[in-house]
Amino acid sequence: MLTKSLKLLGATGLALGVGLGVAQAQTEIEMFFPVPVEGKLAKEMQSLMERFNEAHPEIEATAVYTGSYDETNLKTRAAIKAGRPPAAVIMSANFILEYQLNDEIEPLDPLIEAEGSSADAFMDRFWPALHGNARFADRVWAVPFHNSTPLLYINADHFREVGLDPDNPPATWQDWAAAASKLVKREGGETTRWGLMLPENYDYLGWIMTALTMSNGGLYYNPEYGGEVYYDTPSMLGALTFVHDLAHEFEVMPAAITDGKAVSTAFFAGQTSMVVLSTGSLSFIRENMKDDYRVAFVPRNVRNAVAIGGASLMMPKGLSEEKKQAAWTLMNWLTSPEISGHWSRFTGYFAPNRQAYELPEMKQFIADNPDAKVALDQLQYARSWFATYNTVAVRKALEDQVQAVITGDKQPKEALEAAQENADAQMRPYVEATALKLPASM
Amino acid sequence: MAQTALAVDSPEHGTAAPRRVRRLAGRLGADGRAWLLLLPSLVFLCLFTYWPIVQVLLQALTIETFGSQATSLGLGNFDRLFADAAFTGALLNNLVYAVGTIAPSIALALALAVGLQEATRFNALLRTVVFFPVLLPLVAAAALFLFVFLPGIGLLDYYLATLGAGQTNWLGDPDLALWSLVGLTVWKNAGYYMLFFLAGLQAIPLDLYEAARIEGAGAWRRFTRITLPLLGPSLAFVLVIALVNVITQVDHVVVLTEGGPSGATDLLLFYIYQTAHESYDYGKAAAATVVSVAILLALSLVSLRTLERGVHYEAS
Repeated sequence: MLTKSLKLLGATGLALGVGLGVAQAQTEIEMFFPVPVEGKLAKEMQSLMERFNEAHPEIEATAVYTGSYDETNLKTRAAIKAGRPPAAVIMSANFILEYQLNDEIEPLDPLIEAEGSSADAFMDRFWPALHGNARFADRVWAVPFHNSTPLLYINADHFREVGLDPDNPPATWQDWAAAASKLVKREGGETTRWGLMLPENYDYLGWIMTALTMSNGGLYYNPEYGGEVYYDTPSMLGALTFVHDLAHEFEVMPAAITDGKAVSTAFFAGQTSMVVLSTGSLSFIRENMKDDYRVAFVPRNVRNAVAIGGASLMMPKGLSEEKKQAAWTLMNWLTSPEISGHWSRFTGYFAPNRQAYELPEMKQFIADNPDAKVALDQLQYARSWFATYNTVAVRKALEDQVQAVITGDKQPKEALEAAQENADAQMRPYVEATALKLPASM
Repeated sequence: MAQTALAVDSPEHGTAAPRRVRRLAGRLGADGRAWLLLLPSLVFLCLFTYWPIVQVLLQALTIETFGSQATSLGLGNFDRLFADAAFTGALLNNLVYAVGTIAPSIALALALAVGLQEATRFNALLRTVVFFPVLLPLVAAAALFLFVFLPGIGLLDYYLATLGAGQTNWLGDPDLALWSLVGLTVWKNAGYYMLFFLAGLQAIPLDLYEAARIEGAGAWRRFTRITLPLLGPSLAFVLVIALVNVITQVDHVVVLTEGGPSGATDLLLFYIYQTAHESYDYGKAAAATVVSVAILLALSLVSLRTLERGVHYEAS
């Protein structure tokens, strides 16, 4: 009885909607989206959806807010397991590989080819640094939506105060450590101002370590095969020893774990002179920082290199042909130069679509905000983001050990050996089913 | 007995439905009526408690391998669970957390209840103040404490600095982080437990105290010889709730530390969450769930026994 009246109600609603719009049946699709930064992004996404639905009367798209990146991952998996996948998901770019390994997402090549385009031409729209996390295993699996890199933020007032030039920020680890030593302030046995702070909570720390290892010539993981990470290597050992020394030798960084939120708060309060944070925090810093500040590339030891972050759009398997088409239309619309640029100016993430920067409003924005330009310039040194089988657990295997080094409970070498061993154990099921699955004796 | 149960329907005596129910109830007999009354909750308990427990048991015994659909039954998930250093770490953390939260919060609640027992207007105000943290959801409390615990700029460090203490990284120091969570939990729960003790105190006859006073017993003696023994049932009940809280509350871990640094605040429930939803190791997560459900069942069994004994004591 209840279901009957509900159905009736739904039918009336549908009839009304169709009556007002077009006579033809609408394709209803759902998109899952996370908000990694602040609340007002969710509102902006709703208004984008309204714009999309207005421009596409044949589609009724709903954006479903699904929490953080991790929660979105969780809810997407649950929806897929329950057999009711959303038509599109904005997914943390380094989680895409696992969906591919588990055979849970659609390759986008057939949709690209149906439009008369090719995978090469399609990917060419996006910055080259973003290709690795979207196109692998010979297929296109995701469309970059908004991306970031880690960036060095410095307090220009502090720099001038100790006789450093804020317009010439440290570019090498040597300069970086030297600047931090000059900037740190001690009174008695207490540090009243830190030279540098890094975000060391889970997820953020792994990303920072990727940047440091890559800046030290390292690869961090095997971009071609999801069963290998390079934790116990010279490039990682150098990076971790540098972190260890910042906290324990030079004593310019707290020897305890600081959360990303605590890092930005300390930067605003003038309690630290330098921080490394995401380019995704640019708008947030711009709005809240009272002191004069500058941004710069993450300093290098061997070469300039950082990993990208951010999210891409992907399409789960198990959708009807109409829903696939509708989702594809939505994905293309959301990553078009105009929308991409709009979202970038609103959030601080950079626009993955290169053509966005050809638009006059975007050129104006870059001219007005030189810090956004630095973020963009660093992109040419950016690389793919670490992604393996069991990504989160493999990342945590390293993070737990790095935290132990920062707090002074472990030495870098033993920490990396433990991290490697734990990470290998996390990837073992995949490795045994792939690289170590060998022909038995015949 | 049946009469009183059905008296609830009295305002609608005139309608046909209750009369039909009454006739039905009469035909069922006492046992049938009891089952009938239990039925609604039983349906939901089966749907949301017993059936999931059965499923978790099955999942815990099912061994899956990556890249193949074939599964086998066995205890392999439990072997892997007990070999996992993160699991034993979480178990140990949970033990420390239990001891660290239960004893102080119960002692504090008891002291507060005895101290604020008399119903003056000032005491009512103080009770409200102490009870206030209970009104906050744990997630909200944890989000607030994020700013209380901020090193250097947080409220805690700010006030400690006026006393001359230096900066402390409450959540970032692996030796301190779990104790910071303990502090938050005690702050959050003490007011709640106080409520049960206040209720328990109301039931203690005042003439006992009068008699004791005439015999010349001091305040401490009156507390240990009258208040504490007669609060036995309340104490046992609060202990059950506190024990269950230790295993089932996880919001503050999620909000404040995510189990870090270096796994120092990883509690059992958070370990299960991570294993299931971050490592997708459903077998091992189910095995850990079975272990924690077993602990919970054992705890409630033991404590319910003591609870019953407490009630008898009071009656005699």
